[in-house]
Amino acid sequence: MILLAFHNLFQNKTRLVISVGGVALALLLILSLDAIFAGVEHQITAYIDNSGADIFVAQKDVRNMHMAASAIPASIIDQVKAIEGVEIVTPILYVSNMVVTGDKRNLAYIIGLTENSPIGGVWNLASGRGQPGKSETIIDRSIAEMSDVELGDTVEILGQRFTVVGFSNETANIVNSIAFISLDDFQALRGSPDVVSFLLIKTHSGLSADAVAALLESKIDGVTALSRTAFSSQERRVVKDMSTDVITIMNLIGFLIGLAVMALMVYTAILSRRKEFGVLKALGARNGQLYQVVLAQAFMSVVLGFGLGVVFVLLLSGIIPRLGLPLSLEIRPISLLKVGGTSLIIAALSAILPIRQISGFDPAMVFRGT
Amino acid sequence: MSLAHRNLFQDKTRLLLSVAGVALAVMLILILSGFLAGMNHQITSYLNNSPGSVMVTQKGVVNMLGATSLLPPGADVQVEAEQGVEQVIPILSQFVILDLHDKKLPAYMIGYDPGQGGGPWRIRAGREPQTDDEMVFDWVLAGRHDLSLGDSLDLMGQTFKIVGLTDGTTSWMTSFFFITRKAAENLLRTPGAVSFLLITPVEGTNSEDLIRRLDDLPGINALTKARMAANDLELFANIFSMPLRLMVAIAFLVGTMIVGLVIYTATVERQREYGVLKAIGAPNRVLYRVVTTQALFASLAGSLVGILLAYGLAGWIMGARPQFLIVLDPADMLWALLSGLGMALAAALFPARMIAGLAPAEVFRK
Repeated sequence: MILLAFHNLFQNKTRLVISVGGVALALLLILSLDAIFAGVEHQITAYIDNSGADIFVAQKDVRNMHMAASAIPASIIDQVKAIEGVEIVTPILYVSNMVVTGDKRNLAYIIGLTENSPIGGVWNLASGRGQPGKSETIIDRSIAEMSDVELGDTVEILGQRFTVVGFSNETANIVNSIAFISLDDFQALRGSPDVVSFLLIKTHSGLSADAVAALLESKIDGVTALSRTAFSSQERRVVKDMSTDVITIMNLIGFLIGLAVMALMVYTAILSRRKEFGVLKALGARNGQLYQVVLAQAFMSVVLGFGLGVVFVLLLSGIIPRLGLPLSLEIRPISLLKVGGTSLIIAALSAILPIRQISGFDPAMVFRGT
Repeated sequence: MSLAHRNLFQDKTRLLLSVAGVALAVMLILILSGFLAGMNHQITSYLNNSPGSVMVTQKGVVNMLGATSLLPPGADVQVEAEQGVEQVIPILSQFVILDLHDKKLPAYMIGYDPGQGGGPWRIRAGREPQTDDEMVFDWVLAGRHDLSLGDSLDLMGQTFKIVGLTDGTTSWMTSFFFITRKAAENLLRTPGAVSFLLITPVEGTNSEDLIRRLDDLPGINALTKARMAANDLELFANIFSMPLRLMVAIAFLVGTMIVGLVIYTATVERQREYGVLKAIGAPNRVLYRVVTTQALFASLAGSLVGILLAYGLAGWIMGARPQFLIVLDPADMLWALLSGLGMALAAALFPARMIAGLAPAEVFRK
């Protein structure tokens, strides 16, 4: 019976291509959306993950960088340095602003760095220098390419002109990029010399970042301290929590489309073979055996569609970065499991209609030539 | 025509499935467009409802939601002194992340002087903040997190009491909430800071001339609120348009494949009839017309059902999740019908190719 299902499926190649392609596209809808948001989650934590810091200290109750603001008095730096386990403390200033080049404006996180800061700076330098001096900046390479900016050119940040002295890699995402300037320039422009945004801390080797972070919170008032892993996880949750509802709705729509395509495909395939099913019934095949054929055909189709959908997303995830677009698609095993499960449900549901149809077949109809 | 009609209606279940498939694809396209339009509406809600027609920002900043703006000290006094300026309202604003019920919720904080304006435009319950530990919160967000008037909320190390609930200040991505400007200064540790100035020009003043003069002041940038709104929209459209276009393209392809599959199957089943028609002298174009008519009917019926479904689903989504606003523009209906037409024409290609290759003698060999 499985062989019959196989023959039924592959007998008409055009129909096979259309139906498997349709299912693949519906599953692609679910997979690509998951992959886009997974990619954004990954990109958005690039600075935190690559900062080199073990702990991030922020204003009390602030547990994010993205879409957040933090202001802590610079005076606490000495207190932080005195905490057991703290090796290096680097303050940074941070704000969401624009990198303006001519008519082009690119949204960017502006990071103010202390001179020769050992942590919190550029981690993947494409060209030029990685440490900004006075009136100097390091911007993302892809943003520079899109805006035709070369090393030595000037861009406008926070309303002032800066000379581009370096290009960084891995510092752009679908939402924005990162630009580095000196902490002194940042403080002068913001007019708040006694305030910093975050303190980046490197702990002595062998100490638990979580334990030192807890110690920091207990000893210093008005701050929230999180290990890099915990801070990064909080950041990913912003994207996750913002996208949950959208993903749920799109998944439902993708599921319904996949179901419609599959139901139609299995239904038309069985309908065009009704004579054969009639012959099988006339020869004594039980309904249960014929149901197996229908189910096998549906499952084979969704397995093919699923495979094709995954290949599409893999292709997209390979092609998109080559086009210079700051969009990253990331396929997670959990997404594959979810879409795989959805495919199986689609296959089972799409078989209901043809099964009902077969159960009503009259074996004698084959002799009537209908 | 009659052959197309018979082919199509001969199997009602198949016709129903094909119409449903196209309807789902069209519905998806419409919902996605409506979702984007609603998001655009929500993004610019503050700019659309706050006083004034001109906005002053920090030099280099042309967006409200995209970038943080901090005006140079004394900018408000300089702007007030310019000729043609009737009213200047300062606000201090910043995105913050609220942690509510273990959920991260980006919200846009507006610090304003209740005596001057620039705060909430529609209070559903309660009142505006009077002290620096009071806030006005979005009622949809409050409802989702069981917050009501009199409740307390911790924000950046300080506790605020909710004294008012606002209408029209929500979106799926972010909501607006309001505190006094002094409270915002304390939270951000920026005493005396101003992010934006909302300017109302004296009646009869040439706005372009005023903007030019304001632009010449050091460290600031002036633009109309309409321009600012357009810039915010452009920024968010850039972020969301790529995934959205990808999904619309997928929906279109799925719809085309569904119609293609149905018409192709119907044509394969009737290939002997087509062969007979060819044998008795019917030119290919007549047969193409039969196939295209079937595709057109399935697509247009599907498009119409899709439009109805889109309205139904939009209503359901907005009822169940009030943070989503789905605006279905009548112009989008036209696009939906055109999409259906596009799907029909693309879908008719497969069966038309098959008919073109059909030998008239085929029918006599069977």
